[in-house]
Amino acid sequence: MLKILNGGIETLVEDAPGRLGYLGKGMAPSGAFDPVALGLANILVGNPPGEAGLEITGGFLEAQFGMDTVIAIAGTDMGPTINGQAMPMWESLAVKEGDVIKFSHIGEYGFRSYLAVSGGIDVPPYLGSKSTCIFGSYGGFEGRKLAPGDVLQFGSPVKNKKDLVGGKLKKEALPVYPREWILRAVPGPNTSPDYATEEGMDYLFSHSFKVQHTSNRSAYRLEALPDSFFARPDGGVGGSHPSNILDHGYAMPGALNICGNTPVLLIADGPTLGGYMCALSVINADLWMVGQGTPGRDYMKFQVCTQEEATQARRDRKKLLSEASLA
Amino acid sequence: MGEEKYKVILDTMPETESRLEVLFRQAGDGFLQVEYGRIQRAALQDSFRMLAVNDIIQDKKIKGLIETVPGLRTNLFHFDPEVLSLKELMVHIKEAEDSMPTVDDVVLHSRLIHLPMAFEDSETKKAVAKYAKEVRPDAPNIIDGYNIEYIALCNGVTVYEFKEMFLGTDWFNSGGGFWPGGAFLWPTDPRCAIVVPKYNPPRTWTPEGAVGIGGPCVFTYTTPTGGGYQLFGRTIPTFQFAQKHPIFQNGPFLYKPADRVRFHEVTEAEVLEIYDHVHNQTDYEYKIDEGKIVVKDYLAWYNSEKVQAGMKALKAKQAEGVKKAPRL
Repeated sequence: MLKILNGGIETLVEDAPGRLGYLGKGMAPSGAFDPVALGLANILVGNPPGEAGLEITGGFLEAQFGMDTVIAIAGTDMGPTINGQAMPMWESLAVKEGDVIKFSHIGEYGFRSYLAVSGGIDVPPYLGSKSTCIFGSYGGFEGRKLAPGDVLQFGSPVKNKKDLVGGKLKKEALPVYPREWILRAVPGPNTSPDYATEEGMDYLFSHSFKVQHTSNRSAYRLEALPDSFFARPDGGVGGSHPSNILDHGYAMPGALNICGNTPVLLIADGPTLGGYMCALSVINADLWMVGQGTPGRDYMKFQVCTQEEATQARRDRKKLLSEASLA
Repeated sequence: MGEEKYKVILDTMPETESRLEVLFRQAGDGFLQVEYGRIQRAALQDSFRMLAVNDIIQDKKIKGLIETVPGLRTNLFHFDPEVLSLKELMVHIKEAEDSMPTVDDVVLHSRLIHLPMAFEDSETKKAVAKYAKEVRPDAPNIIDGYNIEYIALCNGVTVYEFKEMFLGTDWFNSGGGFWPGGAFLWPTDPRCAIVVPKYNPPRTWTPEGAVGIGGPCVFTYTTPTGGGYQLFGRTIPTFQFAQKHPIFQNGPFLYKPADRVRFHEVTEAEVLEIYDHVHNQTDYEYKIDEGKIVVKDYLAWYNSEKVQAGMKALKAKQAEGVKKAPRL
């Protein structure tokens, strides 16, 4: 078990790909915001890639292990320590009962860190997932972020702990965290010529958008679009602004919602239906990058992608999140 | 290049006697949006037919189809492209569409859910008072500490007439979304089609079971949350996270797409007692009738002289009401 001494800014229990099949019931998939970092950490400790771990946003988590186990940390480098000693990231290591793990603030690159434990975090699944939906206050650990005094139980390890210690990843499996994230995206459902101008779509697919401070687990807000983006004078029966549309389901996660002039990436805990147009969707295999995008610091740029490329990218990612990535 | 560059309409099906043109829009990696008609319109018959087609598609149990998310005039298909290709999915949808060539074929399975509700209850009044105190003290949609006068004012009717209209129609669920367990409910009787603006800015708290209206839609709040609909009463639970009551055994949700809801007035004390019997004693018996909507019959009734005249009369009152009601 793990006893929380300091929950940090926001630490959540998340699995991947989260709670699928409830969009029409108003429930977002939630799940790890960066399923690649969580997945690789899980592979290192012998878990399936989607097993539940801790998602640490912003930093400052401090916790004490109540048993000997094997862990791995992946994601942004928050300078994690064990009993005050710097610990390596992206590899598996043994911890002992009584050891204290402590994280500092976010690293130079990336925004979220993941802690995986052999056997996973044992919380009761809700509607098929252990993920926390922080906006709806359900799932995960009592539907909330972790706080001092919380005690988390671990599942039963699949593999012998001794065989896991010292596990490393192949160099090519390690993700690269830039300051400008290139996200492959499929245009639609609302594009030129009927909703946006071609000039506007060109802008959308070439501009480097700064991630706004107001971004969170339900929405990543980007810099505003110029009025010339819109092809319509208003939203017709959908509303007065040209970004308005009669309510429709959102392709969650990944849809780029145009809310007034603000492009908003709907991810993780985001809304599943609403009255704003959607100009593109980030492909599934690249969604992890949004989770590492640092509000107020990083930029995002979209690159047109075909359905075939998107499907191939899913296959490539599945391979990445497997034992094939172990050195 | 040119228009081809951001082409997202992958295929179309022509308009028929029973439906508008169908547009298949690319909506992401693993998503397809099926849209009815090129012009946006809010007409219930589009939703009836779309949900009838949706039932047929669901019954096919297509491998790789994760879910569908019906809106009023669009249906969003979520699928796993490693199992089901976009092309195969479109073939399935086209087959379902073709199986209903005429309006006579369109019959929709639709349950009728009876919900007791109390007008002007104390909990939703608390939510309005909290808003006035913490968010917008001068909110023009608050008259005598509540929203019901404002709703009536916007529609050029009295509070009594508003209540009669609200209770006098069935409310059709075009599909859920946005908030866990929520449903967007539309009046089936156009003579009861109340329309009101939404809060500006929104509320920070609304109690479970609050009944509100925003634009043309009624919403019953499933859990305590913020919100923007004008409040006028409180109904019984339509959602239960813990799934303790037998009606929530297979999921925390009460509503299904295509359900109709009929409200009847009870006292606030009765509503509160039902909360106890749903959440604690778990022995309240929800009244739900199986049923269907025969779209041909609905359209004949909708287009009848009596209904059309009533609808026009309401629209005239609403035009006057909008002039008198303050803007938000």
